[in-house]
Amino acid sequence: MKLMKKKLRLMVVIMSVMMISLIVYGAVSLGASGNRWFSSSVNTALRKVKSDVIPGRIYDRDNVPIAFNNDQGERLYHPDELTRRSLAHAVGTKSGLVKNGAETFFSYLLYAYDAGYFTRLSAALTGNLRHGHNLRLSLSSRLSRYVIDHFPSDKSGAVVVMNYRTGEVLVLSSFPNFDPNNQKGVASDPKKPYINNATQWRSAPGSTFKVITLAAAIKNIPDALNHTYTCNGALEVGDITITDAGMASHGEITLQKALTVSCNIAFAQLALELGDEKLRETAQAFGLDDHILFSDLVVENSIYPKRNRTAREIAWTGPGQSALAVTPLQMCMVAAAIANDGEMMEPKLLLQAVDNSRVGKAQMSANVYKTPLTKPEADLLTQAMREVVKSGTGRRAAVPGLPIAGKTGSSQIDGQEKTNAWFIGFIDDKTLPYAVCVVVNDAGEGSRQAAPIAAKIFEFLNQNR
Amino acid sequence: MRNKKRSDQNKWLTLPGMLFFFTAFLLLGLRDFDYRAFVLAAAMPLGFYLLTAVLPRFLPADRLLLCLVNFLCGLGILTLFRLNPDRGIDQVFNYLVGVLGMVICLLIIRFWHRLRWLLPIIILISLLLMGLPLLFGQVRNGAKAWVSVFGVSFQPSEIVKVALLLVMASLLSHRMVIPALAFAAVCLGFLFMQRDLGTALLYYASALILVYVSTGSLSFIGLGLLGGGTAAYLGYQMNTYVQNRVKIWQNPWADPYGVSYQVVQSMVAMVNGGAWGTGLGLGNARIIPEVQTDFIFAAIFHEFGLLFGMGIILVYLMIFVRGVSISKRARTRFHVLLSLGCSAIIAIQTFVIIGGNINMIPLTGVTLPFISYGGTSMVSSLCIMGLLQGVANANQRGLEEDEMIAMLGEDR
Repeated sequence: MKLMKKKLRLMVVIMSVMMISLIVYGAVSLGASGNRWFSSSVNTALRKVKSDVIPGRIYDRDNVPIAFNNDQGERLYHPDELTRRSLAHAVGTKSGLVKNGAETFFSYLLYAYDAGYFTRLSAALTGNLRHGHNLRLSLSSRLSRYVIDHFPSDKSGAVVVMNYRTGEVLVLSSFPNFDPNNQKGVASDPKKPYINNATQWRSAPGSTFKVITLAAAIKNIPDALNHTYTCNGALEVGDITITDAGMASHGEITLQKALTVSCNIAFAQLALELGDEKLRETAQAFGLDDHILFSDLVVENSIYPKRNRTAREIAWTGPGQSALAVTPLQMCMVAAAIANDGEMMEPKLLLQAVDNSRVGKAQMSANVYKTPLTKPEADLLTQAMREVVKSGTGRRAAVPGLPIAGKTGSSQIDGQEKTNAWFIGFIDDKTLPYAVCVVVNDAGEGSRQAAPIAAKIFEFLNQNR
Repeated sequence: MRNKKRSDQNKWLTLPGMLFFFTAFLLLGLRDFDYRAFVLAAAMPLGFYLLTAVLPRFLPADRLLLCLVNFLCGLGILTLFRLNPDRGIDQVFNYLVGVLGMVICLLIIRFWHRLRWLLPIIILISLLLMGLPLLFGQVRNGAKAWVSVFGVSFQPSEIVKVALLLVMASLLSHRMVIPALAFAAVCLGFLFMQRDLGTALLYYASALILVYVSTGSLSFIGLGLLGGGTAAYLGYQMNTYVQNRVKIWQNPWADPYGVSYQVVQSMVAMVNGGAWGTGLGLGNARIIPEVQTDFIFAAIFHEFGLLFGMGIILVYLMIFVRGVSISKRARTRFHVLLSLGCSAIIAIQTFVIIGGNINMIPLTGVTLPFISYGGTSMVSSLCIMGLLQGVANANQRGLEEDEMIAMLGEDR
């Protein structure tokens, strides 16, 4: 009897832990992801809220209104058509046509879901519509509009510009785009212009991935930049042959040089030498395979391929092919992390939210998302990437007088005539701390199609500093 | 003196609950002008008072426990009435039948020393009942656990749950470990064949706890965990239904309009409620499928809010702790094991279904004790409480006898 009763205390402890874990789990998951669930399109209660509340206005970083209600209660966007097209994906639409644009993702603020009983009650009694909170986003409508002018009008793709010291996103543009003031037929357009290619679209990043492969080398091989390989123009791995663009043959080549001229063969050999695990480790340090839950943005997870691949697949990972699938935003964050001494900032979209009587409701705070590199590692990579722009494939991204670092990429996509052109890069100057990622699909080489667009963006940022 | 104290206690036990039910039903009545709500606004506080404060006068029982259980049952009636008034009225009758069951179970425990001969009969009937669904069962939610007799459909496993506790406690108190295990194993086998895995989990966990407490043997526990693990693995491998549930649990947002619609709507309903809830009658929890049974916790959370929902979890914890304290004061092995088993099975059931509602663990289709809609579930939960109250009753009588002996001793 006594022995039995002693065990009762244990039972109380176990059961208390279980019940309290329910409470903690419930409260924590609601606190951490509640806003996300609330804003999701499955929330039918949102429709009811929408009829009781005038949604807040949305401003860009320079306080230009980019989304607002007119007197008739219609939701309108920036008066200039190209400007509102350039912002359409980041801002989204009231109808929720774009998944997780600011209009839907921040609906808990725009519709003031945090309003207390008193506000709700007084609104219900007086019959007045309540006002939602006004938002100020980190987007720059001027730069977004400028990007549209320099992006080939017949191509699809994405452009991301972010501040690498704070994580503020200035441009999050996707092509093709649509006019949010006139959404007729957009939903049924076969080109799917409502998809945000910067966050919802994933692809192999091509040679821009070489910066990650090189980062793995710097972490694992002493004096990696001077590590040499032999490039005969072709490398046989298993039953396939890896070649370089234009069948170039580079001979004896250091990794620094291999990055500058974007030599696939050297990077394939490097990938095989490092092995799948080391490469995966570094890629994951840069946020691949993460289950991403940013506070301001919904982004598809970027994926490093699964384990147990053949040697040829591992070899192709080095130059950024194989089953890699990354979003343009992710690659922009990779460049940003290298620029920011190895600290990857969480991308932020919301600078501030204030209610109708100007009381603050939300305020941006920069926070480090990951630290993939140490400062010396980041400095080495920066040096290597500056060489790419100075004398390599990234020459067209150079802007006189600016310390630009970058890497081009041309990723081969099955069934596509031309390659997808990629460029990631940044200004190596902490007073002008911007990183970009440009993707132009089915356009050709990154060095010719993507790098010049980046140069234009860097120029604009320099002139408007 | 003693009466004064008791009436004070009664006041504090019953007043808050009475006030809660009165205002809540009044509110619903004023909102919809449904006469039934006004009737309940008067009847519920009265019933709550009668069953919490008056019933123990005739039938000594633990009043705190009674109060908590009655409150939860009343809350269930309220929530169901708000979701669908007809269901609420049904639940009132389920509740009354359950109370009758509770009283009967209390009396059974009180007179158990004269009723022991019933044990083999109970075992036999239990096994027959468990076999029924396999012969004439209906499939609901992937489990073939329902039987329909004369137009009344019920879940035999719910009734056998009560018998399981009684049988296990009785056999184990006589150190008949092997027969007890065999009985539990046969029941589990039937449940697996019916694919009623949620209930199987409850049977398994409470049997394990009882065996552990009565024997104190870790090797039994190790064996039990091993067997349970194997069964769970086999169940997972053989049953795509289980695999789907696990998949939904891992990422409910993968298919929010399809397979995980239910869980996602439950999560969304909770966040719509927020800390303070939408307010009674102002929510739209009805869009959650199965909201009246599996997801009633989400509905309560939705309208009453996070803090209230957490409070409900604490009420269940209090019921468990109170049950264990009854167990601690019990005077025979049978009583210790029975009261522990009863407390544990209710607590585990609560954990399993609320955990499923908030997506902490994969969803299994068990009811929330005392609150979910359903006659069988209500009756079986209250019967289990009846067994527990029977032990409390025996404890009190034991105390009185002690006092009497002590007094006689003084007189001498």
